[in-house]
Amino acid sequence: MNKKTNQSRRNFFKLGIAGAGIAVAAAGGAFVFNRMEGKEHDDMPNPIDKKLFKPFEQKNAVTMRAGGGFDPELHKMLQGFEKQPYRNVPGYTQLDRALVEGGWSTSNYMAPMQAYGQPNSGALSWEQHHLHDTQYKFGSKQEATAAIKHAALLYGALRAGICRNDPRFNYREMYDIKREKSMTWDDFPFKPKTVIVVVCEMNYECMATAPAWTESGTVAMAYSDLVKTTYSLSVFLQSLGYQAVPSVNGEGINPAYAIMAGLGEGARNGAVIIPEYGCRVRIGKVYTDFDFVEYDKPRSYGVMSFCRHCKKCAMSCPSQAISMDDEPGYHPTWSKNPDDWFKNQIGIYKFYSNSEKCFRFWIQNDGDCGICIASCPYNKPAFWHHRLVDASNVIAPGPVHTIMREFDTLFGYGHVNDPAKVKRWWKYGPPKGKLYGSKA
Amino acid sequence: MMMITFYIVGILAAGSAWWLIRLSQRYQINWIPLTGLAIGIAMILFCIAWSVGSALEGVPRAAAMGVVFFGFPGIVLLTLIGRYVTRSVK
Repeated sequence: MNKKTNQSRRNFFKLGIAGAGIAVAAAGGAFVFNRMEGKEHDDMPNPIDKKLFKPFEQKNAVTMRAGGGFDPELHKMLQGFEKQPYRNVPGYTQLDRALVEGGWSTSNYMAPMQAYGQPNSGALSWEQHHLHDTQYKFGSKQEATAAIKHAALLYGALRAGICRNDPRFNYREMYDIKREKSMTWDDFPFKPKTVIVVVCEMNYECMATAPAWTESGTVAMAYSDLVKTTYSLSVFLQSLGYQAVPSVNGEGINPAYAIMAGLGEGARNGAVIIPEYGCRVRIGKVYTDFDFVEYDKPRSYGVMSFCRHCKKCAMSCPSQAISMDDEPGYHPTWSKNPDDWFKNQIGIYKFYSNSEKCFRFWIQNDGDCGICIASCPYNKPAFWHHRLVDASNVIAPGPVHTIMREFDTLFGYGHVNDPAKVKRWWKYGPPKGKLYGSKA
Repeated sequence: MMMITFYIVGILAAGSAWWLIRLSQRYQINWIPLTGLAIGIAMILFCIAWSVGSALEGVPRAAAMGVVFFGFPGIVLLTLIGRYVTRSVK
């Protein structure tokens, strides 16, 4: 065997190794991209204990207990909410309060009290005022799905998903604060078959001012956006001849529906983390009797695994309302007394927060807080290096997530209660043009 | 601005690849130190892209930490392997 043959064999071997390396890298890349798209499930990814689980009573939600008067103490506290005197502290001045009031203005005008869960209010009415006599016939389910989602995006949604109406995640009974009466699904104008779930973005820089009043400005604006978007989408569907009712905080549980529509995964703080935005979104929905659509499937993105090891929101929460448990469970652990558990929808495998503790901090702060959203490592603006971190997160094993949380803090992210961020917001505002911005 | 940064990083990456190929042809460098040089250069280019992105985002601390975690090790790696290659060539 001469030297030349050996040399060519060696080169062939090296070429083979290089080719195999490229193939492995390509396969790895494809795997990561696939995982970032989310793993599909046929049902809610969180297991449900059928012995414990039942549809939630809207009266037990903290916002309804306070807004509807079911808890006299919370109701009394709510009367003074967002009415405290201005302070000489960045984020707590008349300027910041004005930002909040401007943000709420559209929601308050178009759908009064919807933030407390008031159903059938204003633009979110159950009346079918725009229902056409003739029903538009789509050529295919794909065409119908695309039409609905594109309309939702045009009307202001960041993303839209479609799932079936699920009585498990609707309020068992709703409460009309204005008319002081309970309402059931027998009162609903039609039997809903489909729920179109939309999310609207909250601004990153404004959210970073949490828990200052400034942060409430983007929360309020997102609610106003949702009222507008869901109302427009419901009119769109009614104009096609199909019954539709827009809903923001009423009728059903938004995080559950967002998960069922494949938009995101449940997080430790009880919100939904959606790819590229974290829980920096607000959720709305439209109930309709139109069912000629391709339904989205729930997806998991590795969020639950990350939340198990991260706990940054729980550590940042000023009222310790968020669970610090290592593992999720089927009922709250913030109280050993099962009589207290009515405040959460039990029976679903997740982390349970003490919403009343959270609400009491809102009262003390005189503004909704947002610290859990702002501090979350998933909450990042649209820059390439965050997408790279998201990609590495889907393949990193559990304990690495704890290290990633520490690096998130080390690199200067998730810092809250910072007056400098309030000053920065008022100086620079939201990002301009294509410097960086949201994309669907 | 980020697009300009990637454009410049792309030019630097291409230039670095050309330089490494020329270097290996001229001095018959083994593939192990050559890979080490490539990794060092990749880390520095990554550091540039990361730090510019973080600075544009308005988080200068992340930009600085990027230099510490990506740029500095890249420079160290390049220096050490560069000295090894220089010695072995002599």
